[in-house]
Amino acid sequence: MRYRVTHTTTYRYQQTVGLSYNEVRMQPRPCPNQQLLSSQLKITPLPCDYRTRTDFFGNQVAWFSIREPHREFVVTASSEIQIFPQPVQLDLSHGMSWELVKEALWNDRSEPLLEARQFALDSPFIAADAALAAYAQASFTPGKALIEAIHDLMQRIHRDFTFDPEFTNLATPLTTVLQHRRGVCQDFAHLAIGCIRSQGLAARYVSGYIETLPPPGKKKLVGADASHAWFSVYLPDLGWMDFDPTNNQLPGDRHIIVAWGRDYSDVTPLKGVIFGGQNHELKVAVEVENLGA
Amino acid sequence: MKTLSTPEAFAPGYRLDKGIHDEMLDETGRVRPHWSHLMRALQQLGPREVGERHQEALRLLRENGVTYNVYGDPDGINRPWQLDPIPLLLSGDEWFDIEAGLLQRAELLNLILADLYGPRQLIKKNLLPLELIYNHGGFLRVCDQVSLPGQHQLVLCAADLARGPDKKMWVLGDRTQAPSGAGYALENRLAMSRVLPSLFRDTHVHRLARFFQSLRAGLNAIAPGDADTPRVVVLTPGPLNETFFEHAYLASYLGYPLVQGDDLTVRDGYVWLKSLVGLQRVDVILRRVDDNYCDPLELREDSRLGVPGLLEVVRRGNVAIANPLGSGVLENPGIMPFLPGIAKYFLGQTLKLNSIATWWCGQTRELNYVLTNLERLVIKPIYRKPGEHSVFGHQLSRAQLAEWRARIKARPAFYVGQEYESFSTVPALVAGGYEPRQTVLRCFMVARADGYTLMPGGLSRSAPQYGNMMITNQTGGISKDTWVVATEPQHPAIPAKRSSSLAGHGNALPSRAADNIFWVGRNAERAEGGVRLLRATIKKLFSNPDRDSPDYQLSLETLLRCVTSMTGTYPGFFAEDNESLLLTPEAELLAVVVDESRAGSLANTVNRMTQSGYAVRDLWSSDTWRVIDEIEEQVSEARRLGKIGLWSMQEQMDQLITTLSAFSGLVMESMTRGNGWLFLDIGRRLERGLQLVSVLRTAFAMPQSEAAETRLIESLLDTSDNLICYRQHYRSNLELASFLELLLMDPNNPRSLAYQIARLQEHVGKLPREPSTRRISAEERLLLEASYLLNIANIDDLLSVSESGIREALDQQLSKIYALLAALSDTLTANYFRHGDAPQSLS
Repeated sequence: MRYRVTHTTTYRYQQTVGLSYNEVRMQPRPCPNQQLLSSQLKITPLPCDYRTRTDFFGNQVAWFSIREPHREFVVTASSEIQIFPQPVQLDLSHGMSWELVKEALWNDRSEPLLEARQFALDSPFIAADAALAAYAQASFTPGKALIEAIHDLMQRIHRDFTFDPEFTNLATPLTTVLQHRRGVCQDFAHLAIGCIRSQGLAARYVSGYIETLPPPGKKKLVGADASHAWFSVYLPDLGWMDFDPTNNQLPGDRHIIVAWGRDYSDVTPLKGVIFGGQNHELKVAVEVENLGA
Repeated sequence: MKTLSTPEAFAPGYRLDKGIHDEMLDETGRVRPHWSHLMRALQQLGPREVGERHQEALRLLRENGVTYNVYGDPDGINRPWQLDPIPLLLSGDEWFDIEAGLLQRAELLNLILADLYGPRQLIKKNLLPLELIYNHGGFLRVCDQVSLPGQHQLVLCAADLARGPDKKMWVLGDRTQAPSGAGYALENRLAMSRVLPSLFRDTHVHRLARFFQSLRAGLNAIAPGDADTPRVVVLTPGPLNETFFEHAYLASYLGYPLVQGDDLTVRDGYVWLKSLVGLQRVDVILRRVDDNYCDPLELREDSRLGVPGLLEVVRRGNVAIANPLGSGVLENPGIMPFLPGIAKYFLGQTLKLNSIATWWCGQTRELNYVLTNLERLVIKPIYRKPGEHSVFGHQLSRAQLAEWRARIKARPAFYVGQEYESFSTVPALVAGGYEPRQTVLRCFMVARADGYTLMPGGLSRSAPQYGNMMITNQTGGISKDTWVVATEPQHPAIPAKRSSSLAGHGNALPSRAADNIFWVGRNAERAEGGVRLLRATIKKLFSNPDRDSPDYQLSLETLLRCVTSMTGTYPGFFAEDNESLLLTPEAELLAVVVDESRAGSLANTVNRMTQSGYAVRDLWSSDTWRVIDEIEEQVSEARRLGKIGLWSMQEQMDQLITTLSAFSGLVMESMTRGNGWLFLDIGRRLERGLQLVSVLRTAFAMPQSEAAETRLIESLLDTSDNLICYRQHYRSNLELASFLELLLMDPNNPRSLAYQIARLQEHVGKLPREPSTRRISAEERLLLEASYLLNIANIDDLLSVSESGIREALDQQLSKIYALLAALSDTLTANYFRHGDAPQSLS
């Protein structure tokens, strides 16, 4: 499936901003199931300094600085992506038990496992604690296949938690999400990752987009889409496999990956330090267009 | 030379516990050979004399402004530096081994650092556990694959050493980010060599100066390729930091500008210093800011100490930072048990200097050992947060031990257990005698292009009480000089050319420094003018008060209002219903002197002056700093005397005037006439002009009886030191016309307004200016206007009383001039000191 994604972020400042430094992670990274056909970043006002690089996790980063005085700052990332759906038919009852995977994760020194192990550690937004472990426990019963345990966890989160954009923001701690059972995709991804790490297993945070389908008989609204987030787990026999707890599904050909890391803090789409500006108004618009097969 | 055998003579009862090594005495209680010369000399001096030399050393340190800030202690800011007069002595042979061990360790840490931000072979080959590094707050993923040019990633490092009961030196910890202490070591040495000169010379002590030459060479070596004479700056978090004194001291000693984060800016891929003459490119940053705080874009976004975009410039290789960002990853006690294996892997060598026994709890066996032996161990987190101290198992209650066991079990990879050793003792001067104290030594290394150099000596710190092993400056440790005793006499290194005060900065004076200097000038003058007027007022109040005379009372009241208007302590004597205040003004006058919380009071002004002065501590000569210290002391003394009563302060005020004059005199005589001096004198002249105008307006806009005005003139002449001058000039009665002439128009009177404006015009003409089409600058225009108003003023007009009963011309002209001078201050601030908006993070 081919998609065109347009992600526009607009800041309107109360006062003039004379200088800014920014970092953007909006260009889809290379990964096994998707190919980047084209990508461009449009920035207004025009930066006076612009560089791109690959970060610690292999994500694409654009670093730039703007010196032109401005009251409005717009970043538009447009990309065309080809998605190759995962061919695997999941057989939930097979595969290694989660205990065996854990064992391998902490003892096997092969490069992929060592690479995966860093995602079993605490990260800035996610500290695996007793409460997360307690919630996770029901899914991680003895001898259960890892893939089945994760699938079960995803289903439970989908069932137990309410999607509520009013309840949380970036600063809401995971314990509050767990306590009140409310949040958005980002919270659910963090929650699942925390649960998995509390069992001594590795999981990483994935940011990206999802194609949304309009209600039957209605036309799709332009710009109605949003950034999305889910998580990924390392299965020694299959590699990294994605799970979307918000939609209770295994991402197929409708999920577009932008970046991954330990949690949201590693993949923040837009960061900046500005001089001036005072208060600001932020608008984000995402459009995912299906260009057909 | 006869050797000194036992300490009985000079230290009866010097305690020697079994199982504790003493540096001075051997097991049989005899003085070790390399100590004998020192101890004999101290014995000859006698305890009294040693005590006096000690006090002399402390006085030197205090006067040089050597301070250490202790967090969370109300008296902790600028706490005087503590120095014990008995140095730690190490023989040349001992030092030879220590040096070999430390240089090997520095090479090793350097290789580890390069590997952790490069190929990470150590992790792949299981020589360092992934969890030990990746769980550490100092492992900065944004610094991955970033490196300095040349062989050395670790430019500076320090190690804390102590000797265990087995007589071996052990490394207790490594400092690899921004090691502090080298500057204090140097100050200790200077003080010691001044108070014990012959002793120091005869002991053949290794000199320290060469180390700082190496530091300079090391910093030049890492500069980006195209910089011929690299510009190096010292980046400090600011005056509130615990070791700010040292930052300023090193900057001044090495001749580098001292800057804070917002003195720097990133532009076109380079780092620039915001100086008076515009942006100046910076090639090397010697940082004393923790790495997490250095770039709010890519590191901690709440940091106000860093430079947004800095890391990207580093990445491009356009600026070098010593130590590089990310080097804090090595400040991890959990690495220590892995060092022997790494030494074998990288160097094919065994470790020459052992680390203190350490168990990282991330491994099952080690975890169990730590949990079982917790009460005998020291617990440390692998990543130290500011203000966090080690926990000593033997000091914990059972309940606390259980708590710690649970805490460690919950996150084992985050803790180590460390052996708790009885360190060796060194004699310390305690209550006039010598007592043994546990001592830790910090050693400093710097990488030059050809390898590491060790400072021959270091910063020793001894415990405040016997047996105390928690020896840090934050917890009351007392510093010592460290003497490495050579067999040959040591020749002083040729002193590096030291650019005195402002000369070294040339045009690159940071805008913030200029701002601070300007305010030192203004507040010094404000304080001096204030004290003079207060002294005259108090004198009038207490000597020969002529309370029955209405003229006396009127002139006193006017003088009191002058105090309020000159110091700006409104409402003060202008308050409504102020009858009683004017009749019993003592309490208000006292407040204007000593109430620190009141803006404009003398205490407050001196406070501001010293704060601005401290922020540019690197720019003052030690003599000047001593005078600043003295001024502060005298204000404290005034505050004490204030409790007795206002009258008791008169003598104190005389002294304060002398000291404040000494400050201006020293600055006049010793400061290079660069931009710094210009701003200082501009501040001073501007303030003097403003004070004069406001006093004259308050005193004479409203006409009074001639007798009352005569009394007032007398008091005011007294305040401005002009009474003699006036008498010489006019030899007549004190009359207002000639008085105003003297204070407003006389171009030769250094206290007149005309004189201040003329000096300001000269100074402002010399300020650096952006090329512009304008013929004169905004500052020049303001002064031209003030000068014009003054020149066309006619004394008769000024004295004429209008229908409304006031001297309207005087009132208006003075208020116009006041406004022009105030505008000059604002314009200077806008054009030269503007730091721009504070940055904020987008979210």
